[in-house]
Amino acid sequence: MIVPFAHVLLFAALLFVMGLGCALARRNLIMILIGVEIMLNAAAVALVGGSAHWRQVDGQVFVVFLMAMTSAEVAISLAMVVYLRRRRGTLEADKFDGMHG
Amino acid sequence: MLASALFYLLAAATVAATLLCITRTNPVHAVIYLVHAFFDLALIFYLLGAPLVAAWEMIIYAGAIMVLFLFIIMMLELAPGGKPLEVDRQRWIPVLLLSLVTLGCTVVLIIQDPSAAASGAAYHASPREFGTALFDRYALGVQVVSFQLLFAAVGAYYVGKGEPRRRGGPSS
Amino acid sequence: MNESLLFLIPLLPLTAAVLNMLFGMRLPRLVTETVAVSGVAAAFLLTLLFWGYADGEGTRATLGSWLAAAGVEVSFALHFDALAAAMTLMVTGVATLIHLYAVGYMHDEDDYARFFGLLNLFVFAMLTIVLADNLLLLFLGWEGVGLCSYGLIGFWYRQTENARAGTKAFLVTRVGDVFLAAALLWLFALTGTLEIAAINAQAAGLAPAVLTALTLLLLLGACGKSAQLPLMTWLADAMAGPTPVSALIHAATMVTAGVYLLCRLFPLVSLSPDGMAAIAVVGALTALYAATCALAQREIKRVLAYSTMSQVGYMFLAVGAGSVAGALFHLFTHAFFKAALFMAAGCVIHLAGGENNILRMGGLARRGPRELLWVFVAGALCLAGAPLTGGFFSKDAILLAAYTEGSPLFLALWGVALLTALLTAAYTFRLVYLVFAGTPRGAVDPHPLPWLMRWPLWPLVLCGLGGGLLNLPPLFGGGEWLTRRLGGLAGRAISATHDLEWALGALATGLVVLGWGLARWRYGRFRAGRDHRLGRWLLRGWGADALVEALLVRPFTAISRFCAIGCDRALVAATVDGIARQTSACGERLRLLTTGRVSTYLAAFLWGFLIMLGWFLLALVR
Repeated sequence: MIVPFAHVLLFAALLFVMGLGCALARRNLIMILIGVEIMLNAAAVALVGGSAHWRQVDGQVFVVFLMAMTSAEVAISLAMVVYLRRRRGTLEADKFDGMHG
Repeated sequence: MLASALFYLLAAATVAATLLCITRTNPVHAVIYLVHAFFDLALIFYLLGAPLVAAWEMIIYAGAIMVLFLFIIMMLELAPGGKPLEVDRQRWIPVLLLSLVTLGCTVVLIIQDPSAAASGAAYHASPREFGTALFDRYALGVQVVSFQLLFAAVGAYYVGKGEPRRRGGPSS
Repeated sequence: MNESLLFLIPLLPLTAAVLNMLFGMRLPRLVTETVAVSGVAAAFLLTLLFWGYADGEGTRATLGSWLAAAGVEVSFALHFDALAAAMTLMVTGVATLIHLYAVGYMHDEDDYARFFGLLNLFVFAMLTIVLADNLLLLFLGWEGVGLCSYGLIGFWYRQTENARAGTKAFLVTRVGDVFLAAALLWLFALTGTLEIAAINAQAAGLAPAVLTALTLLLLLGACGKSAQLPLMTWLADAMAGPTPVSALIHAATMVTAGVYLLCRLFPLVSLSPDGMAAIAVVGALTALYAATCALAQREIKRVLAYSTMSQVGYMFLAVGAGSVAGALFHLFTHAFFKAALFMAAGCVIHLAGGENNILRMGGLARRGPRELLWVFVAGALCLAGAPLTGGFFSKDAILLAAYTEGSPLFLALWGVALLTALLTAAYTFRLVYLVFAGTPRGAVDPHPLPWLMRWPLWPLVLCGLGGGLLNLPPLFGGGEWLTRRLGGLAGRAISATHDLEWALGALATGLVVLGWGLARWRYGRFRAGRDHRLGRWLLRGWGADALVEALLVRPFTAISRFCAIGCDRALVAATVDGIARQTSACGERLRLLTTGRVSTYLAAFLWGFLIMLGWFLLALVR
């Protein structure tokens, strides 16, 4: 491998935490979804690194599945974003607190 | 040697781009920076011996998903920009702390594993090898994922359909 | 005839009671009254019919097993021996007459079904006490008479004082019942059986200290029902009940149940000299106490109530002196004349228009019916112990028993009994003079009394006057029928020289005359004078009620208030409420977590993830 596996994992961890921070701290729904995307990509990095470390192609196959799933997920979430925007007129996540106790 | 240097460079670029992405007020700017990050990620994938994955990262992720994001953002005419970052201080300090702690723990866990430190010969997966694995060993997975894409398409259509317009008549 | 038919004696009044309680208000009034009277009258006739069964050892009859487990074997069994037969005859006979009287007396009462039902139930319970073969069945009847007494004293419960009087009676007698129950349990533990005959047979094998303790417990139990010191505060207030109730329960039956208990267990009780002395002391002191109180009472029924207390004290003295026959003799004569006196008092109250206070009566001899005067004076003569009346012979028998017992204690008690006899005569004739003699001080409504209120008195009066024939001593030519009939159950054989008997009889007669003279001197021409402190103190029964209140009731109320408010409300309820409130508060605080915002929930994910990471790190460190 070109770099130690640990370094790849560290990189993936960094990306993941950044995506997490974005999803947690931002109020705009779109930005939350973008945070999710970053996290998913971080996972993809880890998977590819693993595949390279153990010299098997299965990690990459899983990355493909990941991308397919992400597409599906994005499609529906963005459709819902449109729907919510149409219903409420806002995309601020804090405004959607109908489940509050 | 070159490959490892490239890797570190690209990694730094990705982190920087992601950092910029998550701190933008304008969603369009954020998406663009993210696309940049994906470009870097694709290159990293290629360096790690996954050319097909790299290609798909570009095509699907940056080319379809992010474009879809842009479509929606522009369709909804969000955040014309200029507004300050809509994150209040009360929110991002705890998140930052939490994230740093999480990162710290993860780093420690990763470092203490000795097997991860070793590096062997480089690995490169040819498309043939990839294709065999995908359609031979993971054929069922392929089918399931295609179902899932169908469901997603139907669902997206339904959610985005909107309410039927009422035609005239007395309002009840 | 089958001996199980003996069970009809208690069961017929019970059936009448149940019928009256269930259907009494729906049936015509005459039917209810007939059922009530016939229940008791049938029991009386059956007792006469089965009289022969009581000869010798008596007859035992068993209806069935009641308890049979864990070493306890108790059955519904009767023992119809001479003692029980005599007592049953008296109870049913007097009860029948009183039921007839009650039909007339309660003529205006609307709640008659409850009254007659309770009255019959009472007779059933009393007969259970009398006829029981084992102590548990006796205790059942014991509690039954207490319950019926409560129901009947508080019959007019809508006035709170009546209900309170009933409750007081019930509670005070209950205290005695606790001691009786303790004695019961101890006897069972000692002898392994509850049958009276078996216990009496095994009594000789018990240690003296145990016998004395048992006797004291039984004495206290008897004191409760018989209103002796220290459990006597309920009897005077029990006069709040209707007059037939007072006549039946507080003259003839329930108050004598204590005496009967001691007579039944006499073989056990007599083995303890200290116990016998205690019984006699209690009886004599109560007799004196009650006689002094009766001197100052202002209500006619209260005088008679204290008089009953005093006479029952005489019976206890007789038992303590060892003479069961003497106690029973006085029990019977007292039942006759006291019931007659109570019923006559009821007539007097009726004539005086509901007036109870003798200071506001007077002159009833001229204004009222003649026969009432005769009945009352006859009863009074018996009570005072005028020569040749039944009361004279029975009281003399007791005095003789006390005198011949031998020990100096009993000589002192004999003196107390003599003093009490003087006081008895005094208060009896005081009552007669205040009610009948002199000028009328109150309103008298000379209407004719219903025949049912007049005729039942005569058999009782005649039995009282002629009661001496029950146990006529040989001095007067009699054969002491009762003592012979009781046989071995009669207790100590009293033998005295004729001279001694003459002397004692003359002494008693002298006391009666002296008492009558005192009453006539003071009350013959009565002018209402000032009442003095001694009179008021005697009126309140030597302050007994106040003493009980201060010693027992107030601490008890304080303790219960502490427990209810201090403990229950402050501790328990506050703790439970406090826990509930804290839980609720926690819930309120936790509620703040459910903001409904996505970011909150994502943060929760992160926290969980962090905890997992922490766990792995800790695993590493180890």
